[in-house]
Amino acid sequence: MTRDARGWRIALVADSLVNPPRDANLRQPDVLRVLESHAYGVLQLPPAGEHRLLLAVIADQIGEYAHHGYALVAIGILDQPECGLHWRSLAALLRHRGRALPPRHRVRWGVEAELESQRLAAFLADHDLPVEEQRRWRE
Amino acid sequence: MVPHTPCKVALIAHCLLNQNAKVCEGARYPSLVSPVVDALRRRGYDLLQLPCPELAFAGTRRWWAVYEQYDTPAYRAHCRRLAQAIAPRIEHHLRAGAEVILIGLDGSPSTGVRFTSSKPDWGGRPNRPQDDWDIVPGRGVWIEELEAELTRRGLPRIPATGWALDMGRCDEMAASRDLADFLDRREHMTRPVGDEPALP
Repeated sequence: MTRDARGWRIALVADSLVNPPRDANLRQPDVLRVLESHAYGVLQLPPAGEHRLLLAVIADQIGEYAHHGYALVAIGILDQPECGLHWRSLAALLRHRGRALPPRHRVRWGVEAELESQRLAAFLADHDLPVEEQRRWRE
Repeated sequence: MVPHTPCKVALIAHCLLNQNAKVCEGARYPSLVSPVVDALRRRGYDLLQLPCPELAFAGTRRWWAVYEQYDTPAYRAHCRRLAQAIAPRIEHHLRAGAEVILIGLDGSPSTGVRFTSSKPDWGGRPNRPQDDWDIVPGRGVWIEELEAELTRRGLPRIPATGWALDMGRCDEMAASRDLADFLDRREHMTRPVGDEPALP
């Protein structure tokens, strides 16, 4: 086996940011590219609708990561219901598992894509576990 | 009248978007597997990330394992629960007339599509030397259970291939060519728009 390359960072991402609308007139940042450049893996949330069992499965995974030294954030969309993140459902599911919601960033659509990419990059750069926790799990 | 163009959806193994899900020492990328993601997005596929059955079952600090170790009633029941969680989304796309494909992880005991890992006598203390397992043709346990769930729902078999991440030594260039061949064949095989009715 080769040296493990994982980034120890995970972003919960709204479906519309993983699969953005194909509208040439809609200015939007390439969220996956920004996440990749900051070593974030993606945990894709489903689109709006009833996804009770799937959200429970996702909450189990969030709990597992949070318990073992991974930094978690959530990336949603301003002006979408619950930012496209099923925020209320996730809050209840995570509370049931003794976990809090991760820090959240809201991308704005329809503004300068490059500016939004920079806002997202600045948010991501600000988040990681305390150094002692990083050492405990990652070294 | 502008013809309706069914969208294209790629079901992708969880770790192709999130390498943190890999077993210890198994992550080859910090974030996502960009050659796969780029190839699919370039061809207009929406991405639908499958759950990672191993992470949800045995956690982030699990040992490596082969097919036979995951071929247990408890793990299959777990995979069936995950399949029931994600199948409604897949069914929605298929019944809407979307072209749906599956990109798994060749060599994986769970997510293998063309190949899985095998060593019937593995067990006990995990101190086996490197590459001390066999790669054999066949599905992983998770893909078997996912396909069974889709069949139970009366859905057609989904065209599938695997990215060779768990084949021992991954040759990224060869894997990229292999994936491109699969996707190009799909494009040639896809009937003209509107020729194929949606599922009832």
